[in-house]
Amino acid sequence: MEDILAILPSPTKETAPFWEGCNRSELLLRACEDCAQVFYYPRLYCPKCGSEKLAWRASAGRGTLYSFTHVGVSFYGPTWESQIPYTLVLVDLDDGPRMLSRLVGPDRDKVKIGDRVRVEFVEFETQKLPYFSIVRE
Amino acid sequence: MPRVTDEAVIIGLGETPVGKLPGLNSVQIQAMAVHDALRSCGLSIRDVDGLINLDPYSFPNSMFATTLAEYLGLKPSFCTTVDVGGTVTGMTMLQQAIWAINSGHCRTAVCVYGENALTGRSPGAHGYMLKNLLGGEEWEEPFGLQGMVSMYALLAQRYFHDYGADESDLGAIAVSTREHALLNPTAMMKKPMTLEDHRRSRIICSPLRLLDCSLVADGGGALVLTGAANARRLGAPMVRMRSFAMRMTHNTVAQMPDIEDLGMRDAGRDAYEAAGIGPEDLDMAQLHDAFTISVLVTIDALGFCEPGGAGDYIRTGATAPGGKCPVNTHGGLLSQAHIGGMLHLVEAVRQLRGEAGRRQVPDARLALVSGNGGIFSLCGVSILERV
Ligand SMILES: [Zn+2]
Repeated sequence: MEDILAILPSPTKETAPFWEGCNRSELLLRACEDCAQVFYYPRLYCPKCGSEKLAWRASAGRGTLYSFTHVGVSFYGPTWESQIPYTLVLVDLDDGPRMLSRLVGPDRDKVKIGDRVRVEFVEFETQKLPYFSIVRE
Repeated sequence: MPRVTDEAVIIGLGETPVGKLPGLNSVQIQAMAVHDALRSCGLSIRDVDGLINLDPYSFPNSMFATTLAEYLGLKPSFCTTVDVGGTVTGMTMLQQAIWAINSGHCRTAVCVYGENALTGRSPGAHGYMLKNLLGGEEWEEPFGLQGMVSMYALLAQRYFHDYGADESDLGAIAVSTREHALLNPTAMMKKPMTLEDHRRSRIICSPLRLLDCSLVADGGGALVLTGAANARRLGAPMVRMRSFAMRMTHNTVAQMPDIEDLGMRDAGRDAYEAAGIGPEDLDMAQLHDAFTISVLVTIDALGFCEPGGAGDYIRTGATAPGGKCPVNTHGGLLSQAHIGGMLHLVEAVRQLRGEAGRRQVPDARLALVSGNGGIFSLCGVSILERV
């Protein structure tokens, strides 16, 4: 695995379970108990019906690539030069929601839209981050 | 129906130099734009009782309309700040001014935006950053997303996939826009650009290259509005906002709908319908062009061609100087300067007044202005008309 630099999140009380889930290698989505909508990122209210009756549901962590970009310049100054080029992805999770993430692992330079991907929890300092890698079947 | 009004009209326009304005802060730049706009219609600050602005993106402030009002020596009866994103902010300022004038909250209003985004930003900073709670901090930064360009790169890659487009389509609008800029003495970019120059520029975020990105700049622009009766008394040339529509669909890039469901299509349809016109009636279009891909998506969405046809449409010459519907006649954000899109509106008004010099579109009567804040998060379309 390549050396990863990341800016760690400052979770709120509401979102802390998501990031704690990541540290247990679980990708947690919010699921509405009234309308069954599954959504990401976590919010206090269901964005489809407004309900507050929400549960955490573990994602299977599999999805299909909606888009990607290879980042060619450092937006964080010289310390990030080591990361260039890195790859940002939009992943359509099999569970429903679309998620922004970072692609890690082999064949990053050959990635294409429609590729199957799976979550890879990558540890940086105190936090595991839900990145993705290409699945070759 | 998002019809705006028949009463309040735009009677003045102002624009500061753009590029590097070292030693000037955002308040001073906005004040310069206000005074320039008032001069253009023979008014002074004593005539102004309405003020609408946006605080600088590079250095966000609270209560920026009151800051500017005090600096100018105004005591307005209507004063507010608007922030809904690229060029839609400017259109919403006009809408607010029109409503305020029509409802008697003020008689003469100035809408202004300006900042020192180039010389005022922190050392080592690249591109345009927007901070907004929810999105940036927790769901984007931990994954390495920073700056506007990476979001537009994700959109561009998907656009390529959906329509079989490629970088020559991006290059086509970059080149067309540069041709316009060469006719505008104030534009930051002074040299011709070829498709080859575009293809050779370095990758910023694939597939977007340096020449796909707009120009971070210092500068400001302003527009003056008053009631039509007052405008006639002043003998000022009049431009009317014939319609304005907006549509918000999301904020962060991960919540962006598929390309054909972006809000630009709905906003465009509403704006055309309210104005009773279609794309074939336009004399020009000023389309928000923070990145080349924005223009392709907007040309498709506003019905100039079938979805995915923007590249071919541009290659017909329609958007270039002298074309069927010239796009970004001032050189746009790509080749003039990125002043929050305010200069798209200033340019449309200037063209409709017949004051655009070498780049004047002959007998210009109807102009469309489009904007999108964030990553097509909030889209706006307005139709401006010479009265
Ligand atoms: Zn629900």
